[in-house]
Amino acid sequence: MPCELPDNLQILWKEAGMNPSTLSLDQVRNETKRLQARRRRGQVVLGACMLLFAASYGFSYFLFPDTLARVGGALTVIVCGYWLFHSIMERAPAAPHPGETDGLSFYRAELEHTRDIHRWLSWRWLLLLGPFILFDVGVGQIYAKVWPLIVLFVCFDCALLLAVFAIWLPVKNFRLARKYQELIDALDAASGRGKVHREHQAPLA
Amino acid sequence: MGAQVDGTQTQDELYRTATQEYGPALTRLACAYEADPDLRRDLLQDMHLALWRSMGKFNGRCSLRTWIYRVAHNVATSHVIREVRSKGIVSTFLTLEEAESQTGGEDVEMSADRNQALGRLFALIQRLDPLDRQVIMAYLEDLDAQSISEITGLSTENVWSKIHRIKNLLIRRFPRGGHHAL
Repeated sequence: MPCELPDNLQILWKEAGMNPSTLSLDQVRNETKRLQARRRRGQVVLGACMLLFAASYGFSYFLFPDTLARVGGALTVIVCGYWLFHSIMERAPAAPHPGETDGLSFYRAELEHTRDIHRWLSWRWLLLLGPFILFDVGVGQIYAKVWPLIVLFVCFDCALLLAVFAIWLPVKNFRLARKYQELIDALDAASGRGKVHREHQAPLA
Repeated sequence: MGAQVDGTQTQDELYRTATQEYGPALTRLACAYEADPDLRRDLLQDMHLALWRSMGKFNGRCSLRTWIYRVAHNVATSHVIREVRSKGIVSTFLTLEEAESQTGGEDVEMSADRNQALGRLFALIQRLDPLDRQVIMAYLEDLDAQSISEITGLSTENVWSKIHRIKNLLIRRFPRGGHHAL
């Protein structure tokens, strides 16, 4: 391709990489091991947090005599279990290999993955709303006689839960999912390629 | 152009060849994708790790150059989308047409300062859609349309069309270029 860039932009561009920072093979291997260890650690911490969260609500089953609080606690544990099961069993689809996949397919796959995350989250937050509210109301009933002011706190907390779990999070995720779908549609329209499946990709040259 | 690879080269040897020949290009790519110096360092490291890991799967069905650029651009694309997602917003990338139509005063003339000019070029690229970034950077790396097509997955006609727009864009943004102005 003939160089028809405005003057010496290309020379300027090439100068930008005059002092490349590279990694030695040992550094690459060590860094890879460190990243894998960090990923495993992150998964363990996430699992532990969810278990602790579920355990605290499970414990409330024995702590509070109120039926609503017990049902709320038990349902919270079930929903946590569902989220944990989903994150373990329904793993995210394997990302396309960066070397074997062209930029367009890879970009589209990344957009689809992000859209699917937001789609998944757009209504799953609602699952937590019912258990939380039941638990709140149950706890409120237990302490209402000794501390009447707790009713106000429960009302405020329920309103907050409704605003966050029924409106803000679902709407935000739904909007984001729709926006990512629009980006995918725009990408398809611009590339004139439509949906690209990995197995249907054109063979490498 | 591009390293010659035979079937006996190991993952480590391929990686060494790749970094020796394309290390500067990877650095440029990282600079053009990420403005924040710390994140840029992380991105460059991610590119190197992905490159080394990918070399185990390199089968010579495409040139090593195409493979390296694909890995680097795809890792950078993931990085861009991850960064956007972490901010809880949807990317508002400029299309080439939008970038062409914007004639911001500060961008019209190329600065006499080379670093400043390069900074402006990077800033311009960082506002573009990842796919357009790939085309503009591959163009600046002096790759031909066929190679750009292999890397990006766009048709050759589409690549030519984008290159035409990129030229217009660069001419508009850096009209008083030239060695003296740089």
